[in-house]
Amino acid sequence: MERSLMMLQVECTYFFEENPFALETLESLATRLGRSVDDLIPVLDRLVELTVLTRIGSGDQSVYRYNRPVTVYRNLRA
Amino acid sequence: MITFTPTGVDGIDDILHGGLPAGSSIILEGAPGTGKTTLGVQFLHHGATRLGEAGIYVTFEEFPQQIYKVMLGFGWDLKKLEGDGLLRVVSVRPDVLFHEMKKPGGLFEQLIGEIGAKRVVVDTISLFHYLYKDRAEAREAFYTLCNVFRKHGLTALLLSEQTADNTDRSTFEHYVADGVIRLSMSRHMETFRKRTLEITKMRGVDFTEGEHIFRIMKDGIHLVPALTMVEDGVIMDKDKVPTGIPELDGLLAGGIPRGSSMILDTNSKANYKYITASILAGRIRAGERIVVVSSHAMTVAEQHHLLRQFGIDTLEVARRKGVYFIEHYDRTIPPELEDCVINVKDVRNEDYYPYVNEKLQPVVQESIARGEKWFVYQDLSVLYTQRGADFVKHYYSRDSAMIRAMGMTALSLCNFTEIGPENASYLERATQTVVRTWVDRNYQYLQVTKSATGKVSAPMIVETVPVEPFIRLV
Repeated sequence: MERSLMMLQVECTYFFEENPFALETLESLATRLGRSVDDLIPVLDRLVELTVLTRIGSGDQSVYRYNRPVTVYRNLRA
Repeated sequence: MITFTPTGVDGIDDILHGGLPAGSSIILEGAPGTGKTTLGVQFLHHGATRLGEAGIYVTFEEFPQQIYKVMLGFGWDLKKLEGDGLLRVVSVRPDVLFHEMKKPGGLFEQLIGEIGAKRVVVDTISLFHYLYKDRAEAREAFYTLCNVFRKHGLTALLLSEQTADNTDRSTFEHYVADGVIRLSMSRHMETFRKRTLEITKMRGVDFTEGEHIFRIMKDGIHLVPALTMVEDGVIMDKDKVPTGIPELDGLLAGGIPRGSSMILDTNSKANYKYITASILAGRIRAGERIVVVSSHAMTVAEQHHLLRQFGIDTLEVARRKGVYFIEHYDRTIPPELEDCVINVKDVRNEDYYPYVNEKLQPVVQESIARGEKWFVYQDLSVLYTQRGADFVKHYYSRDSAMIRAMGMTALSLCNFTEIGPENASYLERATQTVVRTWVDRNYQYLQVTKSATGKVSAPMIVETVPVEPFIRLV
């Protein structure tokens, strides 16, 4: 993965770790982080793939929600 | 029956008489920096930590991490509460929230379900104005928001930014919401600023009106209620002399403290006769003996007729030496009362005390020795006009001291405006209770401005009623 995308992935993860109950759309997250929507698309896809985030809904109104480690752990055990 | 959700903010629950009505949606409005966020978080923190009620803080603009950090300054560890399943600080765009709220099983319902939320704070509803440019659409959206909260049994605080545009006008939210609380900050004593809170609407429940000053302390908001309203019930206290007017006794926590003096400050238009008569009638019924320094506005005969309305037969009281009148004028006295009248019209100032003492002291001392109680009612305006300000200053301080020493209770009538600010101030300092009654336009008002408990009351309307004590305070 490109270094800049990697940095953005860390930035996104950090944002959700610090704000674990944030419910963000692609656009709102771009505004909060001061990043472009185009740059965020692959990063969010990757974080969803890694189960760091959950995507709810589809299209522009998709909402990204953080999967807190405790929740992921509980789900894995179940 | 209405149940209350305590806010946990010192003083606010007092002026709300218990808290916010459970399940209501209340607008908390104010300019930036007035303390809306702090109050909102304090409301959730109190619910979570003291009552085990989980809550959701919805922020549209601020990062939750900023809120966590700032609130730690008050000792409120919001992240810990989130870990304990008692709080969620949710950042979301207003349109997304609205969309999710309306969706069955949507994120909002999930959030409520996850923690069993009972409280919610939305910071701020002002953003709905940007979302819905059309007024009807915005009203509909706000109405839906309140309905969703109500459906889930959430008590909601909806923070609203007050701007120069909406300071003086009621927005549609004011009509839809169950209540409106306004926070303000204004200049105070040139260099200071004071924060005030005012409840302008609270549907279906009683609250204490007025602007109440609050401070943001190291452990949150602390509000000092501006005025103390009538107690729910009259407090019966043997160390108090009831006035016989339930609302006034409530304001005075039972009545005039026994062995102290009270001043009733009236203006020329105010009708005070039922207040004084109610107190005198109560004392006579309680078997106490009274001394009346007659008013220029009311003769002995008129006093007799007035007390008769309260079922008191002054002639009978006079026969058993239960009442004495000190009279400064040559006025007709009913023959049956003549023996009880001490006329001081021609008595010089320097002889006044020895003269009155000579007549009354033996009776009073012997009576007090038998355990009887005495009550003094005097019109100070008469003494001012007849004997001058210096005499009253001397007389009042000496009289008050003597009254206290003998365990007597006194009621003095005075017109502070008539005697001037300096004299009024002196009398106010020398007395324990001051009640003011005045007429403003078409209403008479009454206010406790000094009391033994240190509390003052709101100005209350004096309403005439057909039964004893013929007035009530509203």
